[in-house]
Amino acid sequence: MNKAMEFIWASIRKDILRWRQDFTAILLWLSIPLIIGGLITSMIDGNGGAKPHGILLIADQDDTFLSSLVAGAYSQGELGEMISVEKTTLEAGTISINAGEASGFLVIPKDFTDALLNSKPVTLTLKTNPAQTILPGIISDVTDILLDAGFYANQLFGSEIDQILDTGPGDQSNDVKVAAIAVAVQNKIDSAAPLLLPPAIDITITEPPAEKPSVPMALLFLPGIILMAVMFSSNGLAGDYWVEREKGTLRRLVYAPGQMAAFLAGKALAAGVIIALIGALTLVIGFLYHDIAWAKLAPSLLWITASGIALFAWFGALQMLASTQRAANLLTAMLLFPLLMAGGSFFPFAALPGWIAAIGRRTPNGFVVDRLTTELTAAAAWSIDPQSWLVILLMALSGLGICAWRLQTGFARS
Amino acid sequence: MLSVENLVKQYGEVVAVAGVSFEACKGAVFGLLGPNGAGKSTAINCISGLLQPTSGRISVAGFDVQKESRNAKKSLGVVPQELAIYEDLPAIDNLRYWGQAYGLRGSALESRVREVLATIGLGDRAKDLPKKFSGGMKRRLNFGCGIVHQPPVMLLDEPTVGVDPQSRERLFELVEAERSNGTCIVYTTHYMEEAERLCDSVAIIDRGKLIAEGTVAELRAKLGARDVLQLQGRFPVEQSKQAVKALAEKNRLDLEIISQDESSMTLTLSAASQHLPTVFQTLANAGGKVSETSLRSPNLETLFLLLTGKELRE
Repeated sequence: MNKAMEFIWASIRKDILRWRQDFTAILLWLSIPLIIGGLITSMIDGNGGAKPHGILLIADQDDTFLSSLVAGAYSQGELGEMISVEKTTLEAGTISINAGEASGFLVIPKDFTDALLNSKPVTLTLKTNPAQTILPGIISDVTDILLDAGFYANQLFGSEIDQILDTGPGDQSNDVKVAAIAVAVQNKIDSAAPLLLPPAIDITITEPPAEKPSVPMALLFLPGIILMAVMFSSNGLAGDYWVEREKGTLRRLVYAPGQMAAFLAGKALAAGVIIALIGALTLVIGFLYHDIAWAKLAPSLLWITASGIALFAWFGALQMLASTQRAANLLTAMLLFPLLMAGGSFFPFAALPGWIAAIGRRTPNGFVVDRLTTELTAAAAWSIDPQSWLVILLMALSGLGICAWRLQTGFARS
Repeated sequence: MLSVENLVKQYGEVVAVAGVSFEACKGAVFGLLGPNGAGKSTAINCISGLLQPTSGRISVAGFDVQKESRNAKKSLGVVPQELAIYEDLPAIDNLRYWGQAYGLRGSALESRVREVLATIGLGDRAKDLPKKFSGGMKRRLNFGCGIVHQPPVMLLDEPTVGVDPQSRERLFELVEAERSNGTCIVYTTHYMEEAERLCDSVAIIDRGKLIAEGTVAELRAKLGARDVLQLQGRFPVEQSKQAVKALAEKNRLDLEIISQDESSMTLTLSAASQHLPTVFQTLANAGGKVSETSLRSPNLETLFLLLTGKELRE
């Protein structure tokens, strides 16, 4: 190992040992994005969001086979996952709904079955909770559909339903009656079948083009959240140039023979190590949560680290272009948050209007987020194209070039 | 070992160093004295390569600072005025890092680091962070970082600023130890007692110009045996001046007016304490009034006053 390489290594070691002392800052860079990411993920959930759930109180004053069918209809299938049906009395139900303890309160009147079978007017009372928006709407719609279904069923199978209702629990000839009703229903279906089957309209079924499997929204947030941690850390670490200048260690370095380039390389690589650690931790959490293929971990981490070094180089360049430490911090802070906002850290590009997303993808961090999204959501690992790697390399080199120029032209000497 | 020839450093119209020349020898401490803003640090920064001189030639251990910068830098150890150490890096790692910056490696680096730790008295605190050190310990580490590569020439830029007397004494011992090792040391300070204690030869710099140079003894001889008498009060300028001159001629006194205005007067006078009543009477007769008197025996401080007409710490 030549002396320049040895000094690069010494500089990496020096900075890592120093930054290790400032563990709180590293924790902060990591925790803010993790907290934001956790909150976002818990809100939207990785599987499409939590379903609402509410209570429907039913006062069944009719208490017949048909009224119990209506009550039971709310507990079927997916509807049953959202609505719990609780039977109650008119008085108790009124008190509960007025107290906001349920999403809706349905009153089935005493003469409901009779009215339905004899096509008489009947009023079902549905009282909904105004404090809720989604579930009362669903209950109201379902009630409408049920009543329509009841009307048409009665039109078709009215007589059969009458027979069912006439059948008492102790009737010895039940089996015969059930068989007769079943035959009657089947006959009606058979007579209607020529009109319905096959349908009078020719239908050509065209297969829609194969769609990509949809990406969960929470996964789309992941690259932006990771980049937020990378941005915080690269900006924070770049502030170290001013710390070294204020302490006089940069001037001391100027006294030494020709070590400035090695110093710069060492600092960038040390920053890379810290960023890689932060990136690895956030990635592993994301991979575990979203069940991402582990083959994508290495390319994702490499991409994050290389991008982090490039961002560090540019934050360093901006820091060194400022005239004072305060101005430098103000400048980078003023840039940091708009970049995070536009670059997909707060809202994934998929959720942004097209033109805003297009601008966002052209920001340095947005570019990184976009490619990381590709890597994390593509079918195969190593999906980031070589041109993108080249762009990051050029970005890092140009940032470090400005840093080197500033170190030579006065930043380290004043 | 260190040669500075006609060094000039200008910032636009402002001349910070105006044609300074001096030489510092091996195994000796050369003091560069002057008040704040005199141009000492600018000269030091030109020698260390921090600043580019406007003109002039500087050579360190035979290497031209501009043409053979790398070799010149290798031969130079700088102990800056500020604490240029990493306070969040253990003391031993500070020394290792600066040793590596000068190309030390392997066992040579390790043994030299241990040696320096012992020299600066931090052997038992090697693994501690400097942020937990006292001010004096940090100063010693700052010194250690400057000598870790065993430079033949050292620049010490006001190394005792803000240091307590005990730590200052430790630093003096370190400087003396380096001198006895054969190192050529350039020491800038505005404390004359430090120069008198440490320096083999001294150059006094003011407003960018070298106004006196020589050994401490030679400079003292320039002052002679005259004391410095500083008077505060009210002094009609012309009458007081004539009266004092007449007094000197009449009594054949070794007396000289260094500076004078309506409220103060500075004189040098042999055996001043004996002649004080006469001087006061003379000034009173000339319409003056003395309200405060200060009498100082000859030293570098009074020499500076004699040469520049102002206090060194102004």
